[in-house]
Amino acid sequence: MTEQIFRETTAEPRTQSLPLAHVSLELGHLYMEDFEEGPDRLREHFARVKPWADAARQAAVVMSGNGRARVSTCFLVDDYFTQFSSPRELVPLLLGEAKAAGLEIDYLARESACAQADGVALAASVESRLVESPPEGSDGSRPGVREVGWLSNGQRTPSSSTAEAMGRVVPWTPPSEAGARRHSIFVDVELWNEDPRRTWSCPFLAAVWQLARLGLLRHRGSPVLEPRALRPDQTLPETWSALPPLLRLNDAAAPFAAYRTTSVLPSRFLPIEHAVRVILSQVEADAAALRQVAERAAAEGTQVPEEIADRAAYVFYPGP
Amino acid sequence: MAPPDRDRRPILCGEVRTSVLRTSEALTARTAAQLLNLRPDEHVLLSERPNLRVASPQLLTGVDCRLPSLNGSRPRAVGTVAARAVLTEGRVLQASAFARLVPGGGDHRKPWGHYLLRPGVVEPLGRHQDGEFTEGFLAAAPLPGGVLNPGAVAERLLDEVLRHRLLDQRAPFKSGRTRLRWVALPAAGDGVTSIERFTVAADGLRTVALRVAPADPSAVAALCEDLALHDWLLTTLVALVERSRLGSGDREAVLTALRPVVDHLLHLWMPGARVPDVLSGVWETLERRPGFSRQWQALVQRIRDQVALQTVSLPRPVLADS
Amino acid sequence: MLVFAASDKGGTGRSVTSSNVAYRRALAGDDVCYLDFDFGSPTAAAVFDVPGASRGVASAGLHSHLQGRHTEPHRIDVWAESEHDELRYRPTGSGRLVLLPGDRDGGEFAIGKDTVRRCVNLFLQLESEFDVVVVDLSAGRSYAVDMVLEATAQPELQGVLSRWLVFHRWTHQHVIAAHGLVFGERGIVAGGVERGHDKGALRDSIRFVRAAVPDPESPLWSHVPLAQSEWMRKCDRDLTELAAELELGYARLLGKIPLEPVLQWREQLITDEDVLASKVAGMATRQALEELAAALVDDEAWERQ
Ligand SMILES: Nc1ncnc2c1ncn2[C@@H]1O[C@H](COP(=O)(O)OP(=O)(O)O)[C@@H](O)[C@H]1O
Ligand SMILES: [Mg+2]
Repeated sequence: MTEQIFRETTAEPRTQSLPLAHVSLELGHLYMEDFEEGPDRLREHFARVKPWADAARQAAVVMSGNGRARVSTCFLVDDYFTQFSSPRELVPLLLGEAKAAGLEIDYLARESACAQADGVALAASVESRLVESPPEGSDGSRPGVREVGWLSNGQRTPSSSTAEAMGRVVPWTPPSEAGARRHSIFVDVELWNEDPRRTWSCPFLAAVWQLARLGLLRHRGSPVLEPRALRPDQTLPETWSALPPLLRLNDAAAPFAAYRTTSVLPSRFLPIEHAVRVILSQVEADAAALRQVAERAAAEGTQVPEEIADRAAYVFYPGP
Repeated sequence: MAPPDRDRRPILCGEVRTSVLRTSEALTARTAAQLLNLRPDEHVLLSERPNLRVASPQLLTGVDCRLPSLNGSRPRAVGTVAARAVLTEGRVLQASAFARLVPGGGDHRKPWGHYLLRPGVVEPLGRHQDGEFTEGFLAAAPLPGGVLNPGAVAERLLDEVLRHRLLDQRAPFKSGRTRLRWVALPAAGDGVTSIERFTVAADGLRTVALRVAPADPSAVAALCEDLALHDWLLTTLVALVERSRLGSGDREAVLTALRPVVDHLLHLWMPGARVPDVLSGVWETLERRPGFSRQWQALVQRIRDQVALQTVSLPRPVLADS
Repeated sequence: MLVFAASDKGGTGRSVTSSNVAYRRALAGDDVCYLDFDFGSPTAAAVFDVPGASRGVASAGLHSHLQGRHTEPHRIDVWAESEHDELRYRPTGSGRLVLLPGDRDGGEFAIGKDTVRRCVNLFLQLESEFDVVVVDLSAGRSYAVDMVLEATAQPELQGVLSRWLVFHRWTHQHVIAAHGLVFGERGIVAGGVERGHDKGALRDSIRFVRAAVPDPESPLWSHVPLAQSEWMRKCDRDLTELAAELELGYARLLGKIPLEPVLQWREQLITDEDVLASKVAGMATRQALEELAAALVDDEAWERQ
């Protein structure tokens, strides 16, 4: 690595700011299973998304507070869990079907970019920024309650195997959600597994994806996952790894990152996005990036929710 | 009528744990930066003047616990404790954990995201008295369970760094850890920084109470890290000189025992080297009484004399016996 | 240096002898730390006469620490806290003597990755502070033995010198049991190798200590009938032979502590006062403990194969 991991204390800490749209609108998320269903599946998908995408644009205008809204659209293709087709084959098909439904895709991202992009291990960085919500009684003396590789939204049932011999029998206690209203909805999210190589889970990569769309990721002050267009002389490559991690498809598009995100997804994605919320509510985002977003929003007269998890909105449509 | 809580300036509190780095050779700037690269997406901070100091990025630990107090009424508080690791001259490692108590947190715990946006801030739920807190926090005994404990956060960080595979686990001499628990209250009126107490308790615990002019919490923590570093140096030097049986045992053994001291410790003494002007004043007080540097210089002089004597007497073993 | 005190059976004299060795090392000027890893019965503090800790401490004992309930294990400075007249003042020239007790009413607990990690941290920290760290392990094949074998196999502890003392009484059964604990199918060596230890190195770091050995020539038995003392001599010879056969012979023997009436009555440290002034304890016992304490840090005694 040529880049230095340290900075002289005397040097000014500089965090680069990003251009921001009002809303980053996600038009879909493509996995191999969907692709294997053939082009009809894509057509149907975009047809179902269209009315919600229009509604999301109108909502963006209402929330921007000044009668206009910059909205950019994006689409995510899985090349992390399975690799299928090729950019050369898939991208034109995708753009064509979207266009047929009256939609335009501004940015195309590869899912593997959320794990690693341009030599930066994004997922690992985000993992090192998790700060778990402490259960009552946490005084700093106990290490995080997190099982390695898992993150929950509350407290697990204490395991009985850790009890001491001839100790008092501990009655079973249910797991509980932190800040639950009367009853708990407890979730425990697997962040990764190792078999034997580290594989990040879909919700974890989706959380990184949300942070990227919210303009909150930096690597030692520099932006990461910056959109790149193909050069005029370049054609779509045969392999996914040869494609820029985040491809700009529309030169006139609003910025990729935005104050808020809206994702239009089939309702089967609901558990994944619940898990994303559990993760986002326990990420300590880059302080300078947060400040820049807040200042920019204030200057524009746009309101941005304080908590990161609240900046992500969803439409779950009944879909395949 | 008492002024509402939110008009009060927050108090800072923290604890610094200091240990020798368990490695046979002091680390270079580059290796030190690797050691303290605790967050891959942030910089390790490095400063080379007047000596080499490398600091890790700041890490957070969530807490939801009681605030210490001697009288038993312990308000609940929620937030995050900030922690960092600091390495001086590639040889002395410190883990420093601190928090700012910001009143006005309401009566109920808020969603966790609220606290994550205020790194290093702990919000008491309900009212608390600064004086009560200070007395409870600095009481020499180990803090009771369930009570805000930055020292425990620091201890875990220290252990984590000390296990790094870059270290060969061979320290040049035996030495203990010290703990320095501190509170910084806002200075009254003219806002001049001063030290109100510095106590040395058993078991390596030191307690410090400061009055500070408005300053960045990280700078106040750095001042306490500087105090802790020099207190550790002095403590360690005293112990090593005692163990060497300087003045009683046989010269050669004494010299062998003191050798690592000369090689690894003597050049580290530099009190106040990086303390910003607004926080100066603390070292002046400590130098007057108890006189840290005076004691250090006296010990160093004894060691130097011993070394000098030995070099003079070496070629003449007959004289060395007398 | 880490010193692990193990025994196949309870009641062998492991705790009392290793405490005495710790005490003697401190008198010799070493900084010494004694850890009660006898999790099923945490009573090591009793030997040091520390009030309120004889059955372990109310909070922050080693049980809590290793299971992650307490960051800092409770430390007892024996010179400052012991109620024993001879221990209350630190003799000039002596080193520190610190005891890390277990939890009062603590019990054996299962070992996970986290427990081993904490154990490694603890060993590393104490080793960087003390010259000698004595770890008194639960008897037999225990979680405590598993944990320290696992901990000492970690890469961080490779540079740290570890030595094992295996205590046994001088009887037929005890000799066989001690052999089994070390060399048996599920013994220390096999268990260590399974966890990544080098077999030869681990074997070479183990020595035996015979505790409470009756000496047929001792005045204690001077009044027994001739036939009986003959029989005792024969037993002693047989045992010596058996021990040699089972690799517990001279080469692997680090010390032999005579049967000491004082210790038969009371678990305690044998101080010079007991031997020289009040003369309640035997000179031979003191001598044997002194020799064992010296042999512990004598590299030559550990190079014998
Ligand atoms: N050399 C000895 N002579 C006589 N009794 C001894 C001797 N060493 C130990 N004992 C006694 O044997 C009993 C068991 O010793 P202890 O150290 O508690 O064993 P362990 O730790 O192996 O269970 C204790 O009562 C102790 O005082
Ligand atoms: Mg015992």
